[in-house]
Amino acid sequence: MTVAAGIGYALLALGPSLSLFIAVIAKKPFLILTVLSSTLLFLVSLIVLSGVWRAFLPLKSTTWWPYGILIITSVGLQEVLRILFWKVYKRLEDILDAFADRVSKPRLYLADKMQIALAGGLGHGVAHAVFFCLSLLTPAFGPATFFVDRCSNMPFFLVSALISLGFVTIHTFSMVIAFNGYAEGKKTDQIFVPVVHLVAGMVTLINLASGGCIVGIPILYFVAALTLLHCGKMVLRRFTENLSRPESS
Amino acid sequence: MAQNQKPPSILETIGEEIIRIVTPVSICMLLVVLLVTILNSNSSDSSSSLASMATIAYSENSSDSFWDKFKGALLNSLAFVAIVTVVTFVLVLLFYFRCTKFLKIYMAFSAFIVLGFLGGEIALFLIEKFRIPIDCITFLVVLFNFTVVGVISVFMSKMAILITQAYLVVIGMLVAYWFTRLPEWTTWALLVAMSLYDLAAVLLPGGPLRLLVELAISRDEDIPALVYEARPVRYNDSGQRQRRMWRVRGSAGSNSVENLNSESNSSSNANTVSNSMNYQNETRLAVVEEGFHPVSVSELATAPLIPPSLQSTQDGQEGSSSENLLLEGIGLGSSGAIKLGLGDFIFYSVLVGRAAMYDFMTVYACYLAIIAGLGITLMLLALYQQALPALPVSVLLGVLFYFLTRLLLEAFIVQCSINLIMF
Repeated sequence: MTVAAGIGYALLALGPSLSLFIAVIAKKPFLILTVLSSTLLFLVSLIVLSGVWRAFLPLKSTTWWPYGILIITSVGLQEVLRILFWKVYKRLEDILDAFADRVSKPRLYLADKMQIALAGGLGHGVAHAVFFCLSLLTPAFGPATFFVDRCSNMPFFLVSALISLGFVTIHTFSMVIAFNGYAEGKKTDQIFVPVVHLVAGMVTLINLASGGCIVGIPILYFVAALTLLHCGKMVLRRFTENLSRPESS
Repeated sequence: MAQNQKPPSILETIGEEIIRIVTPVSICMLLVVLLVTILNSNSSDSSSSLASMATIAYSENSSDSFWDKFKGALLNSLAFVAIVTVVTFVLVLLFYFRCTKFLKIYMAFSAFIVLGFLGGEIALFLIEKFRIPIDCITFLVVLFNFTVVGVISVFMSKMAILITQAYLVVIGMLVAYWFTRLPEWTTWALLVAMSLYDLAAVLLPGGPLRLLVELAISRDEDIPALVYEARPVRYNDSGQRQRRMWRVRGSAGSNSVENLNSESNSSSNANTVSNSMNYQNETRLAVVEEGFHPVSVSELATAPLIPPSLQSTQDGQEGSSSENLLLEGIGLGSSGAIKLGLGDFIFYSVLVGRAAMYDFMTVYACYLAIIAGLGITLMLLALYQQALPALPVSVLLGVLFYFLTRLLLEAFIVQCSINLIMF
């Protein structure tokens, strides 16, 4: 529906990430590299998944359980990759600390570690938005628009942009929660993240029902808000703990 | 509240050099993608493909069978690589006989042709597409000025570095756009062939680029070449002045990456490898568009990055000290900056531009693959500390990701998204 609408949909999905990027990440080159590498990781996971599932496509859209299995496998793979990402990050942290010692600069602060986790999450979120929403947005720049039967209240592009926004939030902040959970060894945080991801994925199954997106999208946003709150609480707690102890962790 | 005077952590500055080279590469790719989407949206590509040396063996028809196209593309790319090899050897020969002045003038002339004619044609396409009201005389005057400033900025290093960088990116973008007009199969075969050629030319003992590099080292001279130099990173600690010089050399359409450590800055030691590494050369072919204007891309290789005084002195002794003095004077503080040859820019952008002709999903996938390849190349550079080609890893990864995305990922994502299933 013209260039303006296309840009509008793109900004709807990616606006908050763009602001986060400009405000926090653009100033530190290492964070930009982290965003790029976590985006690449997400892409690789998508390619592996599509390789595995290619033989079974196209799925019949009347039954919901093939999609359920698809989501479970996808979320499972991505959570395994998250743990891998964490391990790589641990090694990187040691290298960075050693480098800091060598040039006699202070080691990584808690804020730095959180920022790296945030950048990692943002990479995942941006990759999700780019591949699930932006890459299908090309027709939106033209003169017409497109509606899906099951969700005929809004143009398809708007629906997918809204869903992507929810997922971007979930991905971004659950990475922060996950990294903190692994660093501190708190089981609740470690379990929280995969569960939230799975729940969010399953919630989109509701969209398969006719008119389901009216219910599905608000639930998704509820989950996203939950993630955001949990992350905020955790960050606040860690920083106040850090302040009360003069030495940095 | 936390103390306000926490010393800045290393996270502020680490990785800065890499970002300073990734940014212009990304900008060049973005511009090419924009041009491709704007200018190719009405016509299908094969109808207006240009006849060039790259299609000398076979010109593609969309009605040919799979094997015909495949064989034809292979023949085309082999022919192209053969011509590039010959021209590179000619370049080595010229350099051996010290015809540096000829090379530099030739390269300046080619930059003029690229900016003037290719840039002019693309500007005409854009004017036509957007119906901009402009008359011939204004257009010619503006184009001429633009071209002349471009030629001056890439060959005389007294311009503001931002303008030089901008013009280099523009030159890369123009040449890359023209390369995307080649037929599809030929483009992909060409990319793979050029990266293999790059690998061979830089790493094999008889490769022309390796010969060129060794000649330049042994003579401690500079090869004129078009190369993009990232702005040097200024470290704020005024401790010991250890410099690390990263050089990415582009040679004959291929790019080698070299890493040097130079310890002292003020030594007048003529054997400082650093200043001798200021060369890149890139030889490319004449692209004949409908027999109209031969553009010899071989000059795309040269831009002297060191002050002219170093260029004119033939003996290295004076050169190094005056270079250091001049650099100190300008205040650049010769902390190393990564240099990337223009051939890299061009081939990466060609890959992404060709991916844009299919769909945007392939564009994103190929972009990530190329950046990942660039990162891997830089890491290998740090590991092996010798000249490395920068083209193969990125281009091969990019081609792989393009085909994987086109064949596998797209169906998967479209299936999921249409049903509003996301994860």
